[in-house]
Amino acid sequence: MKKSCIAMLLAGGQGSRLYALTQNVAKPSVPFGGKYRIIDFPLSNCANSGIDTVGVLTQYKPLQLNSYIGTGQPWDLDVSDGGVYILPPYLGAHEQGSWFTGTANAIFQNLAFIENYDPDNVLILSGDHIYKMDYADMLREHLEHDAALTIAVQQVSLEEATRMGIMNVGENGYVCEFEEKPKQPKSDLASMGIYIFNWQKLRKYLIEDDADPNSSKDFGKNIIPNMLKNGEKLWPYRFKGYWRDVGTITSLWDANMDMLSTTLINLYDPEWPISSRSPVCPPHYTGKDAEIIHSIVTEGCEIEGHVENSVLSPSVRVGKGARVLYSVLMPGAVVEPGAVVEYAIVGENSTIKAGAHVGTEPDGSEGWGVATCGPDVTIPAGAVVPAEAMIYSGEEV
Amino acid sequence: MRDYHGIIFAYHDEPALRDLTANRTAASLPFCSRYRLIDFALSSLRNAGILDVGVIMQRDYQSLLDHIGSSKAWDMSRKNGGLRMLPPFGLPQYHTGNYNGTIEALNAVSTYIRRIPQKHVVLLLGNMAANIDLDAVIRQHEKAGTDVTAICAGQGLESRHSNYLLGEDGLVQYIDLFRTGEAKGIPSLEGYVFNKDKLLELMDVCQTRNLFRFHQDAMTYFLYEAHGKMDVYVHPGYARIIRTVDEYYAASKDVLRPEVRRELFPADRPVRTKIHEDVSTYYGEQAKSRNSLVGDNCIIEGEVEDCIIFSGCHIGAGAKLKGCILMRDCVVGENAKLEYIISDKQAVFSPGSVLIGSPNLPTVVPKDGRI
Repeated sequence: MKKSCIAMLLAGGQGSRLYALTQNVAKPSVPFGGKYRIIDFPLSNCANSGIDTVGVLTQYKPLQLNSYIGTGQPWDLDVSDGGVYILPPYLGAHEQGSWFTGTANAIFQNLAFIENYDPDNVLILSGDHIYKMDYADMLREHLEHDAALTIAVQQVSLEEATRMGIMNVGENGYVCEFEEKPKQPKSDLASMGIYIFNWQKLRKYLIEDDADPNSSKDFGKNIIPNMLKNGEKLWPYRFKGYWRDVGTITSLWDANMDMLSTTLINLYDPEWPISSRSPVCPPHYTGKDAEIIHSIVTEGCEIEGHVENSVLSPSVRVGKGARVLYSVLMPGAVVEPGAVVEYAIVGENSTIKAGAHVGTEPDGSEGWGVATCGPDVTIPAGAVVPAEAMIYSGEEV
Repeated sequence: MRDYHGIIFAYHDEPALRDLTANRTAASLPFCSRYRLIDFALSSLRNAGILDVGVIMQRDYQSLLDHIGSSKAWDMSRKNGGLRMLPPFGLPQYHTGNYNGTIEALNAVSTYIRRIPQKHVVLLLGNMAANIDLDAVIRQHEKAGTDVTAICAGQGLESRHSNYLLGEDGLVQYIDLFRTGEAKGIPSLEGYVFNKDKLLELMDVCQTRNLFRFHQDAMTYFLYEAHGKMDVYVHPGYARIIRTVDEYYAASKDVLRPEVRRELFPADRPVRTKIHEDVSTYYGEQAKSRNSLVGDNCIIEGEVEDCIIFSGCHIGAGAKLKGCILMRDCVVGENAKLEYIISDKQAVFSPGSVLIGSPNLPTVVPKDGRI
């Protein structure tokens, strides 16, 4: 089945900077924004952009991710001539094959999958960004400029630019230089890690790169510099909308808070729905003394206490007299009566027992940060979890 | 595969539901912020592993068809078997008028019933609010070894007809169909487990005698003429049959009570429903929501108390709602005041509008109503 463009989604990363939250799951399946998991964003973008064939490359702790994606039905990706495929590393005859050793290697090891669809172009995505993007529009520019590779870029501040991959653009509008984390950035266009390659070109560079023993098999470090060296046409696709990397606790918390503002990212837009696998719980119930202010709440929640500036996932319970402020409560989290959770992330199925206190308001000090409880953690009654704390599941508090 | 086949009666128009069933059957009446009543029958069957199901419908079934879709939500989209919609077919006399009774409805789809490969059928009403543990019903039915087991309500259901009185052997001795004064016996939920051949026999007898009614005709024949044996299963949880606006409003108020929700939505027997593309509900800076159930994808900026709010509703700042049921996609303008209103889908209440019903007689606003 010939396809114009298929997507390959890199979802194997451990997400080590999310610590307890990725102790047992891959980063793309971390809950986000109430009803979602991070991977819902690229998958929904694919479906909305008309890309119906998606390979999801998994490696680190893939169990939950596999069952979450399933047949791809929640994203309408359960189609007969394409669909969503989980692609774990595998061994071939003569001990060929191995763990994925880099982003480019992950794609190289799945050349056979891509060739099944004989695509003209391949879209490479990562599973840790929150954004709404029409990949069809990016593909249109890619074809219009006859590019070997089109890279989605976003304007950032020069200070941020020192921490990102920066594209320097020549007079003809094409990318002339790529610098990883430049000390003195020459441009403010940062790569978003979203690429559309001409498949025949990518195939050639992947095969060459695999033969190079000194290569780290990475798109940013090897493939893109090699293409530039050979004078290939690299086009920057300028994206202006909301886009956040949620690779750290702070950025994950920040992006969750952004979901409370429709001016930043509008999840209520019926033209571009972000879909998720719904647990199908009863509607949420707000008790006789409940107070919910500037927050999002969803199915299965039972709220008896005070919730303010917070993001609640399905089946969260907030008991009488409990206070939840500026916090992210993941599915099944329980805040018992009288407990306080502020400036915190509470992982799946964790329980904050009566009268416990998790997190503190920002006090301007260096060491302040969001407090995090991993999944399946129980904070005992009356316990205090300070700001910046990281509680792993299985850990005694 | 279980040797049981499900039949759901979803043809009832129930005129006492007034405007709420103007364009739908009682079985597809929206309930509890996100469900349709038929979800209870479908989920009860699904949770007992009964995936071969016929849904008997007669007219006004567009909303029902739309809701059930491919029946994937209940895992009833199967390669072999699965869910079948059963509009009247075969016999032209069934195309006009309402079915005169459940036996007539069954006879209208008799070719389907004759071809059911399973030995037993489970009959359920589409317009009941009850989460029935059919595993337990079937266990009891098989232990009793009777041709029929009636599913009855253990609490709270005031049945106007079809109560069962038991004899000393614990089996049904008498069916109390109409009674002036206090009801006696165990109120039927009008759900049954039937030996299929026995059901076909009753259908044939009624057809021969030109009779239509399930309890009045078929069950009286079964008990008094055929001297059939019938056991009773008493459903321990919450159960209501919804036939009138009052019953609908009362059941909707009941689900605000946590113990009722626990019985209708136990974790081990989830109620499944069609999944809409929904996002979370947003509560604004001045929002207040007290003792209410709220679906997803709502924007609540005003105040709601003792309400059932379905998905997609928008309640403007300063609006005050008490004791209301708002179905999907209703819009309540700023500073509007609504009390004891049942509003069908997509109604719009303009800013500042006031509409007050009574807790004893809630006002029904039809679909797409403009106030």
